Amino acid sequence: MSYADIVSVTLVVGLEVHVELATRTKVFASAPNPANPAFHDAEPNTLIDEVVIGLPGALPVLSRSAVEMSMMVGMALGCRIAPLTKWDRKSYFYPDLPKGYQISQYDLPVCFDGAVRLPGLDEKGNPDSSREGATIGIIRAHLEEDAGKLLHESPGGRAIDFSIADYNRAGAPLLEIVTQPDFTSAKQVVFFAKMLRNICRFLGVSEGVMQKGHMRFEPNINTHLTLADGRVIKTPIVEIKNLNSFRAVEAAIEHELAEQPRRWIEDRRVMGKGMKVTRGWDDHRGVSYVQREKEDAHDYRYFPDPDLPPLTIDEAWRERVRERVPELPMARAERYAKDYGLGAKEAAALVEERDDCFFYERATEALATLGTMRSVAGKLAANLVLQSGAKRANERGVMVSELGIGAAEVAAIARLREEGQIGNQAVETLFDGMIESGAGGDDAAAALARVRKLAEERGLLIVRDDASMERWCDEAIAAQSAAAADVRAGKQAAIGRLIGAVMTASGGKADAKAAREALLKKLK
Amino acid sequence: MRSARDIARGVAAREFSAESVTREALAVIDRENPRVNAFTQVFHDFALAQARRVDADLASGKPAGPLAGVPVALKDNICLSHGRTTCASRLLENYHSPFDATAARMVMGAGAVIVGKTNLDEYAMGSSTENSIFGPTRNPRDITRVPGGSSGGSAAAVAAGMVPVAIGSDTGGSIRQPAAFCGLVGVKPTYGRVSRFGLVAYASSLDQIGPLARDCADAALVLDVLCGKDEHDATSVDLPTPASHNTLDEPVSNLVLGVPTQAWSTANHAGVTASLKSAIDTYKQLGAKVVDIDLPLSDYAVAAYYIVAPAEASSNLARFDGVRYGRRAEGAKDLTDMLCKSRREGFGPEVRKRIMLGTHVLSSGYYDAYYTTALKVRRRVKDDFDAAFRAGCHAVLMPTTPGPAFAIGEKIGDALAMYMEDVYTVGINLAGLPALSIPAGSASVGGATLPVGVQIVGQPFEEGELMRIARMLERAGQSAGMA
Repeated sequence: MSYADIVSVTLVVGLEVHVELATRTKVFASAPNPANPAFHDAEPNTLIDEVVIGLPGALPVLSRSAVEMSMMVGMALGCRIAPLTKWDRKSYFYPDLPKGYQISQYDLPVCFDGAVRLPGLDEKGNPDSSREGATIGIIRAHLEEDAGKLLHESPGGRAIDFSIADYNRAGAPLLEIVTQPDFTSAKQVVFFAKMLRNICRFLGVSEGVMQKGHMRFEPNINTHLTLADGRVIKTPIVEIKNLNSFRAVEAAIEHELAEQPRRWIEDRRVMGKGMKVTRGWDDHRGVSYVQREKEDAHDYRYFPDPDLPPLTIDEAWRERVRERVPELPMARAERYAKDYGLGAKEAAALVEERDDCFFYERATEALATLGTMRSVAGKLAANLVLQSGAKRANERGVMVSELGIGAAEVAAIARLREEGQIGNQAVETLFDGMIESGAGGDDAAAALARVRKLAEERGLLIVRDDASMERWCDEAIAAQSAAAADVRAGKQAAIGRLIGAVMTASGGKADAKAAREALLKKLK
Repeated sequence: MRSARDIARGVAAREFSAESVTREALAVIDRENPRVNAFTQVFHDFALAQARRVDADLASGKPAGPLAGVPVALKDNICLSHGRTTCASRLLENYHSPFDATAARMVMGAGAVIVGKTNLDEYAMGSSTENSIFGPTRNPRDITRVPGGSSGGSAAAVAAGMVPVAIGSDTGGSIRQPAAFCGLVGVKPTYGRVSRFGLVAYASSLDQIGPLARDCADAALVLDVLCGKDEHDATSVDLPTPASHNTLDEPVSNLVLGVPTQAWSTANHAGVTASLKSAIDTYKQLGAKVVDIDLPLSDYAVAAYYIVAPAEASSNLARFDGVRYGRRAEGAKDLTDMLCKSRREGFGPEVRKRIMLGTHVLSSGYYDAYYTTALKVRRRVKDDFDAAFRAGCHAVLMPTTPGPAFAIGEKIGDALAMYMEDVYTVGINLAGLPALSIPAGSASVGGATLPVGVQIVGQPFEEGELMRIARMLERAGQSAGMA
């Protein structure tokens, strides 16, 4: 057997995602939670109490807000919310696990049975409405506690011959989301992962900072090989543990997609009981490596935690939580495309970051307040946010909403441009000017006054004065006599150089369209 | 020693000081403890400091708590930020808890003076207080005999007059059986009545903290202080406290008591059967109706208990790994070796046995056969009691133990005989019901006359009624004694 015998390879991926919920306290203790922004930079072993480190006599008490955040994510993923849920102990010994068991959920997770719709994607993984989308089933989302961390070198990187335990993370609320094996490409998985992060941000349940481990991914990957003789071979499932960047998720899946057919040619192992392999991911070398061979090497001895009574989630509570679920990013993107005529890619870009999306919506709103038709306002605000805004944000490594310019000022600039009071060059100048002066409040009319004042001070307002235009045209024709001759001779294309000269002569105050008309009249 | 209620009344009225009561108690402890070995630690200075604080508070006009100046002994599996919390285990020999158990906080808040920690079977696993790194506690009634267990130290401290009341914990009879062996009243409240926060867990779904005292009134006084919802214990229940002390002397009218056919086991000591009969007669004379009931599943209660309790214990004791606190073995090769060595050196044989048993019954492939089956038995044990209550019984009357206190060393090598000590008590923990043991007679064994208790099992959260029923028997016995 060789590669030649494999006619086609299909990828099958299911995903487990761990999301650290940003509650103020830990899930079963009142100690502060490192996943909450207020406690990000805590010194090791300061976010602990008797419950977190499992002192004798300490008892867990469930945080209702962790349950509510879990419910919100479940609802966003189309899950059913369990009317009765409970917690179980998952037993294993490791020094980062203070009690010798993890409080998790075995058979009655808070959320189950959901599905999300993914758009069709192009080769780069961007939405493409001309391609077919996919539905990803969500098996369950359960709420459990995180473990602490073991450090094998001292802070600063000095080698040590012992390990250091930091229990700050121990007991942090962790939502584990498990999908059906419905993904057929690495790009799809990454799109889902990003979408999930974005959903979590929109719900306010996680900041989704990958470097801080707010989200960790564990794809279960195998391939279906169609052979020349028509047989279909399913390769053993490989679970890759603890991926904490989108790049690693994509690279690990692509790696397995390439490796699994090769492994099959070598060892002929196929999917089946006891064949599942757990692998780690070496980000530097870009390869996976075996961590654990057999699927059921561990016996976790799950049993219901007697310290935590089962939890009833009644309809009233469920509906109160449902009211707190805002319009989700995908729904917003669809609305922008439909209402404002944005392309799928543009619309998707606008919902990528929660704060930028809200910034964009405020700009659109302000623009509508200034008298621009809403359908036009959405488009104009999108252009400014995605072009002038995104360019500067990228340069500075911040979000558009963090640049310093306010959404009302963005609307004011768009409004001036729409009214033909400023040119494109002036838009950029004013954008920078408003970044410098900083946001001045949400009132659209006041922002318009501020922006207009700056435009005036800088002489950026288009002058509709025939005498000036006459003068600028004459200067331009004198400066670009060759081009003027060409236009006279009927070479229309040469007009561009003359318009440019008018803009230079006017210092950007001329309206390009008006300049074109005046030049053509003169050169007739 | 005076009763707890007399001390509290006298201290509150400033007839005598909490300090003088405490000095008196410490003197008795210093005299008696070497003989019975009830205490793992005695807090001379800490006790006097608490007592002086009580006196100072009263002097400054603060209201007296219901236990003002009452010396109390605390079982050494209940956390206290003073001294050590050892669970009578090598592993926790030098463990200092940074916090107080809610139960300890409650009694101290009521004005009690904690004079020391009492001996127990390691992690409360045992029925004789012989499984302890501090050596066995002796029964003050006959020092060749065990005081029962696992709250044997608390029972012995009260029986020897070292303290008027003590706090114990009961997972399968660990308050009631020592009470019976030492001639005391011992109460296990309804599961959820008393906060378990700070009680080092043995079997979380069965453990309850409760009082041991010389009579019903003192037991009720402490019980009322212990009860209440605690935000640190999710299994504690938000119900008004029973106020059993105030209503104690109101007899229950039209009282109906059920006596299970299983109470008349041929394995009972003659003195146990006679004491039960005598209690039944007394109640009948008081106008109660005594009816036969059947608790068919009680035959399986011991078996179910020795699956459920070790299963939970195997998990509860997993935290003792020598990493963050407790004894860590020297010279380990690696992580696993350190863990195994620390636990092997730290735990005694009975604890190791129960951890292995519990680990086994939760293992994949055995879980359903053992653990799931035991949970089914558990539900039906409760159903049996519910049926009796539905049929009109206010409470169920039965022996506390099959026999009186046995000799030290008599059963230590025979696990099954030791486990059968719990035959009348474990079912009540499985059902989560309130129950108490009260002195009801005596038994002669080889020339010695030993106390015998009867057990009264009440309806959920009806501790007030349970105490009144017990008090009826106690008062009849007192008047008979006087006659």
